[in-house]
Amino acid sequence: SGSLQAGSDYVVFERNTENFSPQTREKAAATKLKVELFYNQNVQHAVERNQRRMELERRLASETRMSEERKDRQRQQLGKHESSYLRLRRTRLHPDDFLTVKVIGKGAFGEVRLVQKKDTGKIYAMKTLLKSEMHKKDQLAHVKAERDVLAESDSPWVVNLYYSFQDSVYLYLIMEFLPGGDLMTMLIKYEIFSEDVTRFYMAECVLAIEAVHRLGFIHRDIKPDNILIDKEGHIKLSDFGLSTGFHKTHDQAYYQRLLEGKGPNSPAPNQGRNSVLVDAIHLTISNREKINTWRQSRRIKAYSTVGTPDYIAPEIFIHQGYGQECDWWSLGTIMYECLVGWPPFCAEDAHETYRKIVNWPETLYFPDEVQLSYEAEDLIRSLITSADKRIGRHGADQIKLHPFFAGVDWDSLRSIDAPFKPQLKSITDTSYFPTDELENIPDAPAVAAVRAHEESGAPFSSDDTGLPFIGYTYKRFSQLHSKGGIP
Amino acid sequence: TSAGKQTMRPLMLCQPFVKASLLKGSFKTIVVLPKYVDEGEWIALNVFEFFDYLNRFYGVMTEFCTLRNCPSILDYSWLDANRQPTRLPAPTYIEYVMTWINNRLNDEIVFPTKAAPTTTASLITPSAHSANNSGASTPVAGQPGDWIGKEGGFPPSFFQTCKAIYKQMFRVFAHIYHTHFDKIVHLSLEAHWNSFFAHFIHFAREFELLEKRDMEPLKELIDAFDAQIAANSSTNKAT
Ligand SMILES: Nc1ncnc2c1ncn2[C@@H]1O[C@H](COP(=O)(O)OP(=O)(O)OP(=O)(O)O)[C@@H](O)[C@H]1O
Repeated sequence: SGSLQAGSDYVVFERNTENFSPQTREKAAATKLKVELFYNQNVQHAVERNQRRMELERRLASETRMSEERKDRQRQQLGKHESSYLRLRRTRLHPDDFLTVKVIGKGAFGEVRLVQKKDTGKIYAMKTLLKSEMHKKDQLAHVKAERDVLAESDSPWVVNLYYSFQDSVYLYLIMEFLPGGDLMTMLIKYEIFSEDVTRFYMAECVLAIEAVHRLGFIHRDIKPDNILIDKEGHIKLSDFGLSTGFHKTHDQAYYQRLLEGKGPNSPAPNQGRNSVLVDAIHLTISNREKINTWRQSRRIKAYSTVGTPDYIAPEIFIHQGYGQECDWWSLGTIMYECLVGWPPFCAEDAHETYRKIVNWPETLYFPDEVQLSYEAEDLIRSLITSADKRIGRHGADQIKLHPFFAGVDWDSLRSIDAPFKPQLKSITDTSYFPTDELENIPDAPAVAAVRAHEESGAPFSSDDTGLPFIGYTYKRFSQLHSKGGIP
Repeated sequence: TSAGKQTMRPLMLCQPFVKASLLKGSFKTIVVLPKYVDEGEWIALNVFEFFDYLNRFYGVMTEFCTLRNCPSILDYSWLDANRQPTRLPAPTYIEYVMTWINNRLNDEIVFPTKAAPTTTASLITPSAHSANNSGASTPVAGQPGDWIGKEGGFPPSFFQTCKAIYKQMFRVFAHIYHTHFDKIVHLSLEAHWNSFFAHFIHFAREFELLEKRDMEPLKELIDAFDAQIAANSSTNKAT
C-alpha cells in the first residue's frame, strides 16, 4: 500500500492514518505511552531491587559476628519479600477484597466510599465509575493513560492512586483516603473565610495547579469539591479527567506533551514547621439568607450529572481552544467564593450561569456589604479576566508575586500548620463528610439503572468485558515498597 | 522491471523499520532472574505482563484484523470440541487464544495470587519427596519432585502451562508481524512493537520457554535483531 521499494532493503513509507478510526489512533497513542511507562518502570524496579540487595549485603558485611547461616536466612528473607512484590503485581483485585465502611461521596458515574482492605485492614477511598457511561464518552484509552501518569507523579498535591481494577460493570479506583473532606463541605460549614485563611488555601491551590501543569495537564475542572483536605489540613487535588465532558479526543501531540512534561517534580523541601503565615480560622458570623439558599442548592448540584459550570472559564464554552490558564480562572472564582460566600456567576440554573460567565465583563460584581482588601479584589480581577490578560498565563510565578500573597513562604507551605486541622477520632472517622445527607441523595440515573439490573439478578451482556478493558489493573508498587509494607 | 525481479521483502525486514527500537542497552537488566527471587514468581509475572501488553497491541489492530481481511492465520489450527484441528479466521483464533490465556492467568490453581508465596511448610521439608506430586508433571528444576514455582505454590504443571501460553502468544506476534506490520508503521508503533517482541524473545531464551521450531515464522526477523545487537556491541567495543 504505502510502501515503495528503493534499494535492496530500504523502503520509503508514507505514513498515513487518515483512514483509521479515531478509536484506533487513540488506542495506539495510549499503547505507546503505556509501553514507555512499562519499560521505565521495569528499569526502575530493577534498579530499586538492586539497591535493596546491596543495602542488605552491606549490612551483612558489617555484621562480623553473625553466622553465615543467619546471613543466608536474611538473604532468603529478602528474596521472599521481593517475590511477594512480584506476586502482588499480577494480583487481580476484586471489589470483594474490600469492606465498605461508608459512602462518602457521590458523582455522576458512581460513588466514593471509605473502604478497608480485608486482608490487611488498610483504609482507602474507593471510587467506582460506570464503564458504560465512560464508553459513551469515548475517552477510556487516554483516561487510563492519564491516570497512570498521574498516579506515577508522586506529587504531594495530587491524591495518590494505589490500585485500579474492574469488573464487567465498573472501574474501581483505590486511592488514599483524605479524612478532612473537601473545600465545598468546609465552605458549607463556615460560609466564608477570613483573608488569611483564604490566602492559605489559595496559595496551596497555586502550588497544586502548578504541579499539575508541570506534569503536562490542564485540570479543567477545579472546583471546591475537587479540593480535598488531608489529615494535616493541607490540600490535594482529587483525581480528575474521568467524568468531565470537556475532553476532546487527544492526538499524539497531547501524549507527547504529557511525557515531556513529566520532569522531576520534587516536592517542596521540608523546612520545618512555621506557623506565622496564617491565623487559625476565625469566622465571620453572617446569617445572610443568600448564602444559605445558595449552599443548599450547591450540594444538590454537586451530585447531579451535569455538574456545576460555576468555575469553568469562558473560553472552554466558546470552544475557541484553551490552555493551562483556564485553571487560573477557576482559582479566581473559588477565591471569590471563599471571601464572598458564593461563586461570582451563580444563578438559578446552569444556563443562566453560562450566560453570566460568557458575559463576565458585565456580570462580575463585588457586593457592597463585603469588605475585601484592595489586594484580594485585584487578584480576583486579574484571574477572572480574558485569557490573554489573565495573571498566570506566563506561569504560576506571576501569581506568587501578586501582593495578595506577600509574605507567603512558598517553599515551606505544605509543612506549616494549616489553619484548620481535622480532629479525627479514628482512621475511619467520616465526620467531615456529609454521610447522612448522602443516604438521601438518589443515585444518578445511569447508576440507578445498573443497580436495579443487579437486583433483578439478570446477567450483564458479556461484551462489557471486551478487549479494551482486559488487564486494566494498576498497582502502585514502588510507593508501597518504599513505605515498607505489603498492602 | 528490476523491482519486479526482486522478491518482495516483508516490510518488517526492511530498513529503516527493522532497526526501529524503543530500548537501548542490554535486555539482561530486565530479563535475568533477580538474585534470591523465586523463579516461578518471576516467570509468572513476566508471562502476565507480556500477555497484558500483547493484548493492548492487538487491541490497536482490531480495526484491521477482521474476518474479511484475515480469513486465516498462518498455518495454525485450533483444536475443536472433538480435539480435531480446525482452521479459523485470525480474529477468531486470536480471540480464542487470548481468552484461553486470560482464563489460565486468572486461575488461582495455575497462577496463585492469594496464598503467601512461600509457606514455612515447604522450608521444613527440604528433602525431595513424592507426596502429592503426580508423576505426570515434568520435573524441570533438577531433582524429581522439584519443579519451577514449587516454593511459591505453583502446580507441577506450571512451567508447561507457561510454555503453552508462550507458544500461543508467539503466534499472535507472528500474525501481527506478517499481516498488520504496515498498520504498526502507519501508527508509528514500530519501535515500541519491535522492542516489545525482542524483549519477549530474550525472556523466552533465558528460560527456554519457546522451541526453536515454534520461532520459525519469525526466524529472519529474530536473526536480524540478533545481528543488530552483535553489530552494536562490536562497534561499542571498537570505539
Ligand atoms: N480520596 C478521597 N478521600 C476522601 N474523600 C474523597 C476522595 N475522593 C473523593 N472524595 C469525596 O467524594 C466526593 C466526590 O468525588 P469526586 O469529586 O472525585 O467525584 P465526582 O464528582 O464523581 O467526579 P469529578 O469530580 O471527576 O466530576 C468529593 O467531593 C469528596 O468529598
